[in-house]
Amino acid sequence: MPRIRFTNLFAERIGGVSSVDVPAVTVESSLRALSDRYPTLAPLVWAKDGALNPVMVLFLNDRQLGVAEIGTPVGPGDEIDIVSALEGG
Amino acid sequence: MRTSFNGSRSDPGGVVYARATIDLASRDVRIEDVPCRNLEDVLGGFGRSFQILAERTITHAFTPDNPLIVNTGILTASNVMTGLRTYFSAYSPLKVSNKGLPSAIWSAGSCKFGPKLKWTGLDEMILEGRADAPLYLVIRHSEQGPLITFEPADDLLGLTCHEKIMWLRDRYTDAHFAAIGPAGERYEDCYMAAVALSTENQLRSGDDKCRWAGRGGMGAVMGYKRVIAIVAQAPDRIAKLKPEIRDINKAASTGPGSRKFREKDKGGLGGTWSNYEPLEKFHFVPQNNFRPTGDGKPELMFRDHVQPEFVVKAESCFRCGINCHKNVYEKNADGTRGAFLAKFDYEPVNLLSTNIAIHDPRKAATLISLVDRLGMDNISLGTTISYVMDYNERHPDAPILNGATFGDFDKARELVEGAATGRFPEVGRGVKRLSESLGETGYAMHCKGMEFPAYQPDTNPGYPWAIAGGHMSMATYMALALEGNTSLEYWAKLITERGLLFVRDDLLGLCKFAGVTADHAVEGLKHEIGFEVTSAELLASVRRAFVRALWLERKQGYDRSDYTLPSEVFDRPNPNLGVPPFVTREFFSQLSDRVWAVFDREIDEIGKA
Repeated sequence: MPRIRFTNLFAERIGGVSSVDVPAVTVESSLRALSDRYPTLAPLVWAKDGALNPVMVLFLNDRQLGVAEIGTPVGPGDEIDIVSALEGG
Repeated sequence: MRTSFNGSRSDPGGVVYARATIDLASRDVRIEDVPCRNLEDVLGGFGRSFQILAERTITHAFTPDNPLIVNTGILTASNVMTGLRTYFSAYSPLKVSNKGLPSAIWSAGSCKFGPKLKWTGLDEMILEGRADAPLYLVIRHSEQGPLITFEPADDLLGLTCHEKIMWLRDRYTDAHFAAIGPAGERYEDCYMAAVALSTENQLRSGDDKCRWAGRGGMGAVMGYKRVIAIVAQAPDRIAKLKPEIRDINKAASTGPGSRKFREKDKGGLGGTWSNYEPLEKFHFVPQNNFRPTGDGKPELMFRDHVQPEFVVKAESCFRCGINCHKNVYEKNADGTRGAFLAKFDYEPVNLLSTNIAIHDPRKAATLISLVDRLGMDNISLGTTISYVMDYNERHPDAPILNGATFGDFDKARELVEGAATGRFPEVGRGVKRLSESLGETGYAMHCKGMEFPAYQPDTNPGYPWAIAGGHMSMATYMALALEGNTSLEYWAKLITERGLLFVRDDLLGLCKFAGVTADHAVEGLKHEIGFEVTSAELLASVRRAFVRALWLERKQGYDRSDYTLPSEVFDRPNPNLGVPPFVTREFFSQLSDRVWAVFDREIDEIGKA
């Protein structure tokens, strides 16, 4: 199963969990599985129109994905990072 | 810090830290081991310093009774990556209640001064009283324990922060330095003076690359005390890296938590500077004193636009693998790196360029560098300058100060210089006082005397509950862009549940940019210190520390009238923002009711304790 890793922005909403393994075959279905399992993450992952939240950036095995690549196939051992493009401090 | 557990490894009383209390007037020094009373004491940073400040009754920041507390977090100087923080805490000249009383604040800075201080054998210094003449403190490690001496600072007076640090570097080997600039020396005129901390890169290269404890005027308090600099001289004491800590560091340097701050070729997004692009999608990039125009001008400061003319090099603090410093250099004719110009972070770049309508990276670099050399907080200063320009645009027949208006670089530079040198104390004392003196507070962009960072107040009704600066102590400043939720329930929960936990690393001694998870922080405490705590206990302690800060605000006269936003947020909604305005007076009043319904109860409990 692919693994989704995320930042504290996500983890703090689901009891500190910072990565989850999901049964999915594409990046998009992985993210759907994530937000199905943790509905509180849905507003971070998805925009109101159902597309990827425009503030989020995806990485697959350390390679940044373009928006059009959300359908990229994934398999066991793949790591998907979802990261906010906005952070300060 | 040492541990001596008698049973449970979770007992705060089993942790003892080393404190030096330094009476600057008498030059008496008392060094003692202090047992921790609670978990906040153990964790350190503002969790500990605010308990000390809570014991004082202070009515003016510039009084001998106001202590300047210089301390570290429990993981400062540990092998946990970014364990580099030094905290400066005091009652602030800048953050004040409407009743005129100063409020407790801390400001944090990174790089190697904190570890060096710890390696002298001290975890904390409390600077009491006021010296009779300018001096600098030298803290040395010795076999007998920390040695503290007082040295005359005559040769340092008038030098920039960087020049002071270079002067000290040439005289003290194996040391790091904290110093104020000309602004701190003129503390009566510049309440926003900052404390510069030396960096390895700076000492090696000779370039002006300080790190900063910038917010809240801690450099002004240090200047009042006539402490011009502090030297921490000790050999490095780096313990063998344990495998558990190596794993934590690997997760921090290669995991998702730090991607935002890493370079693109290191799997990152390029640092805080890259906030420009996503914020501009919503027209949330401040322009013309936090009044975005929608004219697309912010794009002129996008990194991709700036980079071709310069060399941008990602550099780092001591032993940090994130390389979040985006340092801008001249580009030589052959494309190689020339002279260092400035470090580009989103907040100073915005507030000293786009938000004052100067859309020129070279001019921005000049202003950022000038503010650094003079030793001021570029957020407070940039936001005060944008107010001056806004006022003058509104009053063309009766402008104030030098008549600066938006886009006037030369006059902006005059205001920067004048804030530090006493020509324009109206600027140096911050936007709250300036706007109140002019009777035009509606577009003075601050809460509680702390000027806003580069995030729109009309997108962040959480600003009033930030306890030490709007983007460092309340994680609500990007929430609207992130989630687009404008419901009361969402904002009340965000402020009272998740937003306040943003200050966790301001106890631990870590940098927020590492994105260390709570579990990893707990593991770090276990393997580096031998102290055992659960994630829930850690976060409960962070919450108590935050609520104690609110209690301290109340002690200093804060009431509901202090916890509000500039009135133009309510009364003059900006149609250029990419979302419909939602922070109405009615919304904010209801939000306040909900937030205080939660916090009031906890503040009362803290007060009883």
